[in-house]
Amino acid sequence: MDLKSLTIKQIQELLFSKKITATQIVNFYLNRISEIDPKIKAFITITDKVALKQAEILDAKIKKGESVGKLAGAVMAVKDIFLTKDIQTTSSSQVLNGYIPQYSSTIYQKLIDQDAIIIGKTNTDPFAFGGSTENSGYFTTKNPWNLSKVPGGSSGGSAAAVAADLCQFALGTDTGGSIRQPASMCGVSGLKTTYGLNSRFGITAMASSFDCPGVFAKNIEDLALVTQITAGLDEKDATTVDLSVPDYSKLLESVDLKGLKIGLPKEYFSDPINPEVKEKVMTAAKEFEKRGAILVDISLPSTNLGIAVYYVLVPSEISANMARYDGIRFGQNTTDNKDITSYYMNTRGKYMEAEVKRRIIIGTYALSSGYYDAYYTKASKVRTLIKKEFTEALKNVDIILAPVSPTTAWDIGAKSNDPLQMYLSDAFTVCVNVAGIPSVALPCAFDSQKLPIDFQLIGNFFEESKILSVAHQYQQFTSFHKEEPKL
Amino acid sequence: MSSNKITREELDHISKLARIELSDQEKTTFLPQLESILEYLDILNQVKTDNITPTYQVNDQKNVLRQDIVKESFSQKEALSTAPKTQDAYFVVPGTIKK
Repeated sequence: MDLKSLTIKQIQELLFSKKITATQIVNFYLNRISEIDPKIKAFITITDKVALKQAEILDAKIKKGESVGKLAGAVMAVKDIFLTKDIQTTSSSQVLNGYIPQYSSTIYQKLIDQDAIIIGKTNTDPFAFGGSTENSGYFTTKNPWNLSKVPGGSSGGSAAAVAADLCQFALGTDTGGSIRQPASMCGVSGLKTTYGLNSRFGITAMASSFDCPGVFAKNIEDLALVTQITAGLDEKDATTVDLSVPDYSKLLESVDLKGLKIGLPKEYFSDPINPEVKEKVMTAAKEFEKRGAILVDISLPSTNLGIAVYYVLVPSEISANMARYDGIRFGQNTTDNKDITSYYMNTRGKYMEAEVKRRIIIGTYALSSGYYDAYYTKASKVRTLIKKEFTEALKNVDIILAPVSPTTAWDIGAKSNDPLQMYLSDAFTVCVNVAGIPSVALPCAFDSQKLPIDFQLIGNFFEESKILSVAHQYQQFTSFHKEEPKL
Repeated sequence: MSSNKITREELDHISKLARIELSDQEKTTFLPQLESILEYLDILNQVKTDNITPTYQVNDQKNVLRQDIVKESFSQKEALSTAPKTQDAYFVVPGTIKK
């Protein structure tokens, strides 16, 4: 049976009506992985034994008529920065090669508790530092639509795995666009939640005031279903917010497109945008207009400061978080050091990838004596401006529509020697992270090279149900999300 | 933030602060990259921020507290299971105090 074009709900209907077993579902994906993943290299670890064991337990429950979890039979790929008990977690860095954590991240545990099945751990830039997976300490993941192109990043392995139908959904994190940008490059849907909706506990920390775990899927319906499980208060992450999680699936039709005011920020439709991307995203906006929505030109004047704010604050937080890596309690180490300081310096120097070192150095510099106010305080003030511009704009419009990435996927290697150029490709994603608000990316076109293009719908704090509803309705009158790469 | 020249000596100092050994090759690669990144960050200097309060936390959560209750945690064996070097019930590290 071909499961590729089915939603999680549709697969569950087959499972519960006993037309298929969980073991068969898992084997379907394991077969696809062994056939296709050697070309794409989305996975660092394939968890076939764990998956088959989970499926066996689930099949036994179904056979006995016992109750099962809300994600029974849903096969997921997990970005390798989520800690998974007893399963290697590398963060795609050589630093953690062979690291088997003793505990699991909250989100992964919540999903497993609902009988979701883990099929593997996916490649990323090391510790999620990057936008293409090229910084990975292991290998570069290929874009399923064109194997000579990057899949985007940092969560490129997860996006590629969903695009190539190697799983039904995947976990990622979005600190500066690391879910939305690879979703766009690979033509899948991805949700960056409001900061504090999804727990960060048990995920290797990048920038603690930015990190937002979230989900990739083939469609918005599946995104809603999975986010329902991941969201909510976690006493192990003090920045999670205590609110009742709305029923996202039930609310998918709740927003009326008639009269919906959609803001189009002019800064997101100008330089450095590629003309083809601009035209296709405008076409998506016009589709809403045809159905009664009102397009409103708006301005978010500080957009051009987003990258600078981001690349001061995020490396600063990275340097603080990565300072905790001592090579003593877990991970790689070095021997024959004369003292503890050289132990730290040699271990970190030997195993950390270039981009990891670069960001720690930038952050340490920005936070060092004499520079703190000029960089960290200044950027934190501009952060206030960017956040305020969004919340003010969202008083006049219901939702903001914008491109995700200025370009479609680029050639592997094209930007890998120029970190600044790589950073600038986040121009349309970082401001959302600087502000902390939610945004969903979804496919709306292909360019002339048949590379996917996503757009994003941005809402105010905790308006996930609104942006998901608008996105879901778009997928009811378009079929870009149903297209599949030829593999 | 006006001078973007980061000298080799400064980089040596920062790498010590960051506890990262950098090879000569890495320093040669990093210096121009760091310079161009710092030059780009200068754009922030053009913004007037005199009366703006800095944002350190976006969702306004403050001082979340909980009761300090003792709960079951890792066994000693589990806690030590990922360490590169252990002895008895301890993590082993190079000497921290000179003899």
